[in-house]
Amino acid sequence: MESTLVSLIEAAEKGMRPATESLFTTLYSELHRLARQQLARGGRGLTLGVTTLLHEAYLDMAKRSGTEFPDRARFMGYAARVMRGVIIDHVRNRQAQKRGGQFELTSLASGLVESSADARELTQITEALDKLAEVDPELAELVDMKFFCGFSFDEIATMRQLSERTVKRKWQKARAYLHRELSVDFPA
Amino acid sequence: MSTLSPEQWQVLGPYWDQALTLSGEERVRWLESLRTENPVLADQIQQLLEHGLAAEHEGLLDNSPIRRPEASGLAGQTVGAYRLISAIGQGGMGMVWLAERNDGRFQRKAAVKFLSAGHVGYGCEERFKREGAILARLANPNIAELVDAGVTASGRPYLILEYVEGEPIDRDCDKRKLDVRDRIRIFVDVLTAVAHAHANLIVHRDIKPSNVLVNKEGQAKLLDFGIAKLLDGEGQEATATLLTREGGMMLTPEYAAPEQLTGAAVTTATDIYALGVLLYVLLTGQHPAGTGPHSPAQLLKAITEEEPRRPSEAVTSDEVAHAANRGTIAEKLRRVLRGDLDTIVLKALKKNPQERYASVTAMADDLRRHLRNEPISTRPDTMAYRAAKFVRRNRTAVMLTTLAVVATMAGLVGTLIQARTARQQRDYARQQRDFAFGQVSRAEAINDLNAILLSDAAPLGKPFTVSDLLQRAEHIVGRQQGGNEVDRVELLTAIGRQYWTQDEDAAANRVLTEAYQLSRTLVDRHARARAACALASNLARGRDPARAEVLFQEGLRELPDEPQFALARVFCLERGSEVARDHNPEEAITRMQIALRILRQSPFDSGIEECGAQMDLAESYRMAGRNREANVAFVQASSLLTALGRDDTQRAGTLFNNWGLALWGLGRFLDAERVLRRAIDISRAGPSEEAVSPMLLINYGHVLRELGRLDEAWDYVERGYSKARQADDRVVIFQSLLKKNQILREKADLGGATTMLSEAEAFARNHPAGNFPSATFAQEHALLAEAHGDLTSALQYANQAMAIVEASIKAGGPGSEHLTFILRYRSDIERQLGRVEQAASDAARAVKLLQAASEPGMPSGYLGKTYLALGRALQMQGKADEARAAFLSAGDHLQKTLGPNHPDTRAALQLAESGVGSRENPTPSQER
Repeated sequence: MESTLVSLIEAAEKGMRPATESLFTTLYSELHRLARQQLARGGRGLTLGVTTLLHEAYLDMAKRSGTEFPDRARFMGYAARVMRGVIIDHVRNRQAQKRGGQFELTSLASGLVESSADARELTQITEALDKLAEVDPELAELVDMKFFCGFSFDEIATMRQLSERTVKRKWQKARAYLHRELSVDFPA
Repeated sequence: MSTLSPEQWQVLGPYWDQALTLSGEERVRWLESLRTENPVLADQIQQLLEHGLAAEHEGLLDNSPIRRPEASGLAGQTVGAYRLISAIGQGGMGMVWLAERNDGRFQRKAAVKFLSAGHVGYGCEERFKREGAILARLANPNIAELVDAGVTASGRPYLILEYVEGEPIDRDCDKRKLDVRDRIRIFVDVLTAVAHAHANLIVHRDIKPSNVLVNKEGQAKLLDFGIAKLLDGEGQEATATLLTREGGMMLTPEYAAPEQLTGAAVTTATDIYALGVLLYVLLTGQHPAGTGPHSPAQLLKAITEEEPRRPSEAVTSDEVAHAANRGTIAEKLRRVLRGDLDTIVLKALKKNPQERYASVTAMADDLRRHLRNEPISTRPDTMAYRAAKFVRRNRTAVMLTTLAVVATMAGLVGTLIQARTARQQRDYARQQRDFAFGQVSRAEAINDLNAILLSDAAPLGKPFTVSDLLQRAEHIVGRQQGGNEVDRVELLTAIGRQYWTQDEDAAANRVLTEAYQLSRTLVDRHARARAACALASNLARGRDPARAEVLFQEGLRELPDEPQFALARVFCLERGSEVARDHNPEEAITRMQIALRILRQSPFDSGIEECGAQMDLAESYRMAGRNREANVAFVQASSLLTALGRDDTQRAGTLFNNWGLALWGLGRFLDAERVLRRAIDISRAGPSEEAVSPMLLINYGHVLRELGRLDEAWDYVERGYSKARQADDRVVIFQSLLKKNQILREKADLGGATTMLSEAEAFARNHPAGNFPSATFAQEHALLAEAHGDLTSALQYANQAMAIVEASIKAGGPGSEHLTFILRYRSDIERQLGRVEQAASDAARAVKLLQAASEPGMPSGYLGKTYLALGRALQMQGKADEARAAFLSAGDHLQKTLGPNHPDTRAALQLAESGVGSRENPTPSQER
């Protein structure tokens, strides 16, 4: 599946929609697999965060795919988007079943939101984010990485080869955009 | 309020950026002035700013659904695969524990360093682990291995390091009473280890005796490589406040380089400085600032302002103990140090990083030469030089500011040319990364200034041309006083290259010559080599290939075959390929193949670099007439460009232009049209119509002519022509006159065509340096005479053209492609004169040549046209079947390359069709 992933990323970059969707699915299941593996290994003593998980996923896939694999920053961009999906699905599942989804993010030391109000807000945010992705994909990616994956400004700056101040300014813009969108849908 | 469209977003972006960099009153004033110009825009910006404030106030997105591991006390006794045994120290960073691997199979000791979470910074644990993984690959016998890095359950970061039992290098040398030569030998081992790390783009930043331990076997081991960077959580700010930091947590002022104290960029040269201090201490037993103790303020002054004493001068007669530790007496020690060792140490201790050794390897080489009693490469400071230094040291503040500006401008030039969409800003970040890798360090802080300048560049949406920007950049660099000369050379080279890509040869020559001359006064190999090769490439274009070749060789020689020079070597080979392209295209290909190989083996291999190299390789193939290989390489370069998201940049414009020419050379006219069309669209999307190059316009016009779209063809060629006139671009002027002649001839305006051809000939006479091919004139005259119905003159001209081309080929020169055209034209003329045998033989010869050159299975318009000529000749010979086969082939090729409606295609298909009916003499057709 590694070579498929590489070609999927390429196709997705060319803007092919089916490729984007299957890239999402592929990454999604890959992250699942890794998370389960990490859990099986036993996190006694050490905890695993979402960013670690993404990092491990990168190393793992890059190792298997060889040199063609996209650079870390590009990969993280995609993976962060997928991770957003993972989290949203998890939160929704939680509410629906109360038994927990098959993908136990909580055991990854990621205490996820509990209340249904928060879950609704998350859903609204992700819808607004999809709109932002249409006008400025880079900003949307920044929100995925910061808010949904917990990367710090500093980490994002390093990955994007930008200064931290630039990243923070982009964050301000993204947040203003989302605030604007959220007020459009739900006028106060 | 509706959702913003991408277009609106793009318009708003720069204004919004600018607004965000302003604060309070400034912002209000700025908004007011914007409102007078564009009230709608001002309103939108204001609303966005208000949303931003509200979002901040409400804490939107403040609470991530992801919770970081919570902090609690140190948990358990196991860290990774290691069991903690005992605390062995409390370092500046935190506790250090001796630990043991406890999986029962084998035992291994390790040192576990715990860092307080504050040192890594909240939210940086993952970066910490990631960087750790990179460091763990740094395998070298003289570097203490970083076994693992991670974060405990309680959120405390730790490092697991190879446990080295030993003494700090200075104490060990004293203890063993090593003499100067033995000290140098062990120090050279340290240098080798540092060089290895530098080759892997890792700077130590904190080299000091306690980080260089010598074990029982007498082997030096460097500790904590790259740890300083690992801990430098908040990036730039951290270096600037070094002295205000508590307890010298990360860096030891005694070994800090001036740039670490002033907050300038930390590079490999920083390590070289620290190594200089270490060597000073090993040789003399003293710190370069003199015998301590020093207050931080004294040290700061000494490091940034005072020239250190020569090591030999530091050894005074009362330094009995130090001399004794080196197995000698003070007088002898002074003599040993005087000369080479003084020079080497002081070279490493230069205040200006650019004046230090260019690499650790260079320093090690000098020390090895000294051990072998050979002359060293570094010259000692003369008095005049030291006097100059005195002036310079008072300028530190000025120098630091100008450095930032220079570096910013370097980025700016690269950026604005392509800065059109948000996506390209991201590309720019990648470009910046490559640049940073190239220099191994360059400050990241630059990006920020660039971002501001970016919004500043088009303050009120005024259009600007690349040329304006380049002039502005040149002007700013020209005005800069003092400053960093290496940066200045690099910047001038960059500006010159941009002029070069803009076809502004005179401006390019001016700037590149200045860069080259300035570079002669420097020692920096990168700058010297790049300046020489950039100038070489421009000279080759100005038709001084001999001098260009010499300059290229000179530049390439500067660069040793070492990883840190890989990018510079690739740059030089690319320029060398440009130099060779016109007169020795095969050599141009070879140079690009080498460049690609170096690139792929280097740690700097990036999509952008590789794409550039692929493009140059493709263009070299094309210039060598190897269009098939060129096409393959262009396809590859194009897909790289797409993968990089750069397929609408100026570089893409160049790629599509050249690729279009290759396709045209292959006779794939429809494909060529599509690709050239893209090149034009890309240029048009730029700041203004001005951006479309005249060369591209006439190339496109020419392909349109091939496709029979004569009116459009004329329009494009005419526009290209008037632009070329304005710019006095002789090559293009000449080419457009020829094309105009061809188009008018095909439009049956023979008078007009004759005028154009005479103009072209007059132009060639007035500009003899142009090396305008005389065969072309003969050929055009032949076609014109043929159109007039003067077949006898036409044949004479065709024979003349033939003779010139055949002579050229015989002499090993160009013309083989041309041969097939002339054969085809002559065949047409001969047939009309009734010389059927010759007509058939010429056409058959042309078909054979074209078949050999074209890709099997790929259609070629030239082949199609030649089959058509052959069919007509065969038909006249009465060979109906063979003629029909030729017409069928012609129809097939022409349909695919010129389209079904082109007159030639229709003629071929009709002739093939009518051949079926009029077949009188059924003989088996010859398959070709």
